[in-house]
Amino acid sequence: MDTMDFIIGKYNYWIYIVLMMIGFYAMIAKNNFAKKIVGMNIFQTAIILFFISTASKTGGATIPIIKSEHLAAGAQAITAPQYLNPLPHVLMLTAIVVMVSTFGVALAVLMMLYRKYRTLEEDEIMAILKMEKD
Amino acid sequence: MKIIAFFATFITGFLLIYATVDMPDWGDPNSPPNAHVSPRYIEKVILETATPNIVTAVLADYRGYDTFGESVVIFTAGIICLMLLRRTSDD
Repeated sequence: MDTMDFIIGKYNYWIYIVLMMIGFYAMIAKNNFAKKIVGMNIFQTAIILFFISTASKTGGATIPIIKSEHLAAGAQAITAPQYLNPLPHVLMLTAIVVMVSTFGVALAVLMMLYRKYRTLEEDEIMAILKMEKD
Repeated sequence: MKIIAFFATFITGFLLIYATVDMPDWGDPNSPPNAHVSPRYIEKVILETATPNIVTAVLADYRGYDTFGESVVIFTAGIICLMLLRRTSDD
């Protein structure tokens, strides 16, 4: 059953890698700038899922909020295997803030592009730029 | 052009999947991220901050300056959006 244990231990990483590669392909291959930005969002979401998955612990660990019976029993009753790892959750909170900020600024830049060129297709904008240069 | 992009994506994905062979198993309590720094936070959080929610305690007590920087990032992004989307007289 070694193969089965290997697949059960690692399949979550493979799901995130597939999701990340969908976003990567959208970022480098799509012609429409809005689709590129959606691809960037999918990419960032895959990274956040990957980090959150490193926080999990099997064997009865619960969410990182101290239970009231542990509070009553004193600080000695709290041990690390009882609670999930809190640090990936905190760091991904920061990453979500950066993700929302980049998404908002990118959408604002897209609106400026559309006001100026009346299109969001990369090749059409390049053709207009070339025409202006000649 | 699309075929080059597809091959670049495929090769990157293959290398990443090849790298997962060395990663710790899902939910392993003794994996490096779960064994090294976070036990100290879990065990000392009540003594040091008296906050039952560990995520809040780390966010607001241990890493308060980082959270302040986060709000600066959001503020800057909001200001930039306002500057970019402002209607000027020439358009």
